[in-house]
Amino acid sequence: MTTSLVLAAAVAVAAVLLVAAPFLREPTPREDRLPEPREAGKRQLELAEERDRALAALKELEFDHRTGKLSDTDYRDLVGAYRRRAAAALQALGSAR
Amino acid sequence: MADLGRAALFVSLGLAVYATAAGAWAARTHRRRLADSAGNALLAALGSTAVASAVLLSALVRHDFSFSYVAQHTSTELPTGYSISAFWGGQEGSLLLWLLVLGAYSAVAVLLNRRRAPDLVAWAVPVLGAVSTFFAFMLVAVSSPFGTQTAPAQGAGLNPSLQNPYMLAHPPLLYLGYVGLTVPFAFGMGALLAGRSDERWIVATRRWTLFAWTALGVGQLLGSHWAYVEVGWGGYYAWDPVENAALMPWLAATAFLHSVMIQEKRGMLKVWNLLLVILAFCLSLFGTFLTRSGVVNSIHSFTESPLGPWFLGFICLVTAGSLALVFWRLPLLRSKTRLESLVSREAAFLYNNLLLVALCLTILWGVAFPMISELVQGEARTIGRPYYDFFLRTFGLPLLLLMGIGPLIAWRRASLRSLGRTFVWPAAIAVAVGLVLVALGAGSSTPGLVAYTFSAFVLATIGLEFVRGARATGSFTRLVSRNRRRYGGYIVHAAIVLLALGIAGSSAYGSSTERKLSPGQSMNVGGYTLAYRSLAQEREPNHLAVRAAVDVYRGGDLVARVEPGKNNYFAEKQVSNEMAIHTNWLRAEDVDVIADQITPGGAIYFKAFVKPLVNLIWVAGLVFLLGSLITLWPDPREERRLAARYALAQG
Amino acid sequence: MIALSIAAALAVFVLYTSAFGTGTPSLSPSQLPGHQGRVSVVGKVVGRTSGDGHEQALRFTLRDRDGATTVPVVYRGSVPDLFRRGREVVIEGRVVSGTLRAIPGTLVTKCPSKYAPAKKA
Repeated sequence: MTTSLVLAAAVAVAAVLLVAAPFLREPTPREDRLPEPREAGKRQLELAEERDRALAALKELEFDHRTGKLSDTDYRDLVGAYRRRAAAALQALGSAR
Repeated sequence: MADLGRAALFVSLGLAVYATAAGAWAARTHRRRLADSAGNALLAALGSTAVASAVLLSALVRHDFSFSYVAQHTSTELPTGYSISAFWGGQEGSLLLWLLVLGAYSAVAVLLNRRRAPDLVAWAVPVLGAVSTFFAFMLVAVSSPFGTQTAPAQGAGLNPSLQNPYMLAHPPLLYLGYVGLTVPFAFGMGALLAGRSDERWIVATRRWTLFAWTALGVGQLLGSHWAYVEVGWGGYYAWDPVENAALMPWLAATAFLHSVMIQEKRGMLKVWNLLLVILAFCLSLFGTFLTRSGVVNSIHSFTESPLGPWFLGFICLVTAGSLALVFWRLPLLRSKTRLESLVSREAAFLYNNLLLVALCLTILWGVAFPMISELVQGEARTIGRPYYDFFLRTFGLPLLLLMGIGPLIAWRRASLRSLGRTFVWPAAIAVAVGLVLVALGAGSSTPGLVAYTFSAFVLATIGLEFVRGARATGSFTRLVSRNRRRYGGYIVHAAIVLLALGIAGSSAYGSSTERKLSPGQSMNVGGYTLAYRSLAQEREPNHLAVRAAVDVYRGGDLVARVEPGKNNYFAEKQVSNEMAIHTNWLRAEDVDVIADQITPGGAIYFKAFVKPLVNLIWVAGLVFLLGSLITLWPDPREERRLAARYALAQG
Repeated sequence: MIALSIAAALAVFVLYTSAFGTGTPSLSPSQLPGHQGRVSVVGKVVGRTSGDGHEQALRFTLRDRDGATTVPVVYRGSVPDLFRRGREVVIEGRVVSGTLRAIPGTLVTKCPSKYAPAKKA
């Protein structure tokens, strides 16, 4: 019975310590703000996602062409637009930085 | 010791409440230390839940009957393995398992993501905390595993039909699946609460979803195998509500896994993805609710426990809350991209999603119908097997076909010319296979023939993909390791095809016969002759084994000797059916013989089935696991790319 | 496009229910009076049981889970191993002059443990 009590108390104390740890580690922090993306960061993230999408689409187009799923004619029709899109995305991200 | 368990659960509850309240406050007011503290609360909650679990586990292994739960689910002769499995054998224990697994998942999710996506984690923590609060509250106030009593001399023991290895694996796997769906849900809701419209929440939880989905899938196949081999009624799935309870979230998760690919490629369907993850999680909760309360007339559960109303209330709260959240953030989620063509890979994925969700909802309707009809008409009506079989065929066969069409179509739009070229070979193979099958007699069942032909089409497509891909990249291993998701996915598709073949074969082309035989007599089923020779009894430590010796002939040749029968368990005074299965590998079919009733005179009422291709279902499970593992495998290049994205979000 | 598919799904659904009907009533013995067609009855096995389902018809009495109303049942077909007095069962059939004439093979016994799959006939 007493072992139960002691162990239970130990569990509770450990829990409280873990929860209080951030405050005990830094009683007077320089700043306490949660790192969050500001407008600029959000915009950059969006552009980065668009760039990744454009590059991945281009890569997949080429893969589809190499594996024969896309005929030469179809590839030639599409690759220009894909390349332009990827270039635009890279440029947008570059200038946003 | 029970006091320690109760106290530990109380601490877990307190920590969960703190994580929810403090976490929400910290996220709202952007306080870093408080957010860290709330995250730590989830870590600490894992610790206290683990302590409570250890207490219960030790009581089970020691057969400490002063714990009512232990007395209800174990006995002194029960082997240790099964005493451990009693942890999840009863309601209270399985709730504790839920909380424990949730705690583990939450802790890992927080630890992995708190540095690289702190704004997401800040809001995911209160969501995870809220779910933990519910389960902890159930454990503390409604259904505690730590009730005590004066210890009786002997416990109730475990039903002999549950004393097999399946009991050790099937429930925990399902729980890993069910609970695992909480993480993508929490991060999705977290992203909404934080006002983010980017994909980090999907990217961060993709492997979680895959893992949970795999566990759920494998767990279900294990359950089916258990039903087939041990329970012995000749089938592997009965459309029982509890079986459906695991199938529905799995279907929703499958749809989700596909549609997030569209969001990744084209930035569309943000709202749809959120709705799917909400659906998957709510179905997961609903599944737990179905298994644990007596609300639906399932053959798996019957006591109306006090848990029912609580669960229902929680599910309603979660559904309403999350839908409201999506609605509130709707402007943020609008995307500018539109579907460019009805003949594109996106469209194929969309059709796949619609079919999967349609199947999922029809099953949900079937499961909920008794409850709804009772509310509306005052009397519960149950929906039987034909309903489910019909819709499985209506939605499943087109889905099968889509698995073959999808890879052949390019993104954005496919010109009919290139479509024609890529389709030619697989379509030709499929038609050829179809004709051969008709010649062999498969025309007896139209759905079966269609399933077989579509399967041939899909397998041809997948094979072609691998061949073409290997040729383009130079080697098979390089192909797969460079395109893990795609080719792992193809392997999973192949597994589904095997599953479809197994289901179609055993249901559309099987045969069954029932006959009463005296020793010396024989019966025919599906081209086999079964000759009943003799009856024997053998005494085992805890049961009496009664076995009939049956010779299996095919075309005059003796193929096997099987021994169906029954086990009479002394202590539990129970009889279990021991079905005999003979697998004919050459013909790829199973012959199942059941000794349904043994009369005193030695005559036996036999039931026999021939099930073609049924073993493909279990093979499918292994292939599924392989494909999933390949897709799950970490990809350092992908990690680097994503790390850059996380960094961008930080400033 | 989504609206179209929802319409299509609903159409399939309506087609099905009009062709196959809307489920079997799931009742307890006390709810039986008045039902002519096929029903599914849930209850507890009480009283004496005779027969084995194959050589002779299995005859037993089903009682409300928490109640007193009983109904006699006549059943032919496989009897699950778990079937015995005191167990809960689900069975389908038609009520003819006060007795439930069961449809062969529909007797399902609920397993006493929550996680076990049931013993079907």
